[in-house]
Amino acid sequence: MEREVLFRIRRFDGKWSYWQDFRFTARQGMTVLEGLYLIKENLDGSLTFRASCRMGICGSCAVKIDGKPRLACETQIFDMGDVLKIEPLDNMPVLRDLVVDMDGFFRKHEVVKPYLIRSDDDYKNPEEFLQTPKELHVYYDFSLCIKCAACYSACPASATRSDYLGPAAITAAYRFCADSRDEGREERLALVSGSNGVWRCHFNAECSEVCPKSIEPAKAIQKMRLMSAIHMIKSIFR
Amino acid sequence: MKGVSGWFTLRGKSVNSLAYTFHRLTGIVLLLYLIAHLSFLTSLRIGEETYTAFISTTVRLETLPLDSLLFLATFYHAFNGLRIVLNEFGLLYESRKVLIYVMTLFALIFWLYSTYMMYIFLTGW
Repeated sequence: MEREVLFRIRRFDGKWSYWQDFRFTARQGMTVLEGLYLIKENLDGSLTFRASCRMGICGSCAVKIDGKPRLACETQIFDMGDVLKIEPLDNMPVLRDLVVDMDGFFRKHEVVKPYLIRSDDDYKNPEEFLQTPKELHVYYDFSLCIKCAACYSACPASATRSDYLGPAAITAAYRFCADSRDEGREERLALVSGSNGVWRCHFNAECSEVCPKSIEPAKAIQKMRLMSAIHMIKSIFR
Repeated sequence: MKGVSGWFTLRGKSVNSLAYTFHRLTGIVLLLYLIAHLSFLTSLRIGEETYTAFISTTVRLETLPLDSLLFLATFYHAFNGLRIVLNEFGLLYESRKVLIYVMTLFALIFWLYSTYMMYIFLTGW
């Protein structure tokens, strides 16, 4: 089964931003990413976009399709209408066409120390850190984040304050704070308890709606808020 | 950054964003009302006649639609705010969309009842 579709792509040449239309015949089963490759290989070689794994693992190909941030490799063209509006993600500077500068997004992720912090680290004599399935279940869902920045693009709090950590970074902070093997909770809570952290979220929950891995970053932020509130109350009595 | 327009962009967004946008808009309406309300009250410093003159321009049948819209904004903001408080305490998080519809329904019921009561008050029926 084939169908003619129109890709209306928001392009940026480094100076000017404009819409460009590409019409082609799509086959059933074709993803938006395959459509973008078809355009690049046959219609316009200058079209720029990010992609890598083509199977929803790397998170590189996140773009806005008909206004909603999605992974291009997981979006079937036939599931959309005959006209697809494709734009770069919001809340990050556009470098060229569909490629945005994710440097700030990753720096924020780095700020929350997204790794296990232990006082007994001994890399010369490594040993296993045991964990029960119940302890794993507490944070497992949140560890599936692929850092595609779809949540960051959809977040209205990130739209108005550049120093807001954003849903992905706070979810990463919660993932490690909720890990029974971690000992860096206090350190991490101090980082996310400021006005640019958990208290900046206005619970729009759009981050949870657009997450391609159904991680529910909004839930992680609310859980982190509770942790942060307890942390602040405890710190008064210290 | 998308800026303030990010608060009001609804294309491709879910009902959560619609609720969020209405919450912002009704918040602005309530802020403007608060300024007007405080100005009216401040007029009492000039004299009771001035205050009565101000009140007589607003409390009448012709301005009922505006009062009604103000009540709609108030009830929507209050019930949606209650939903946000519940969700932010981690309560009914999974049912957040159902909660939006339920709270909006409550706001509409309270709005219709308050408009009816204001109409009764102004017409004396």
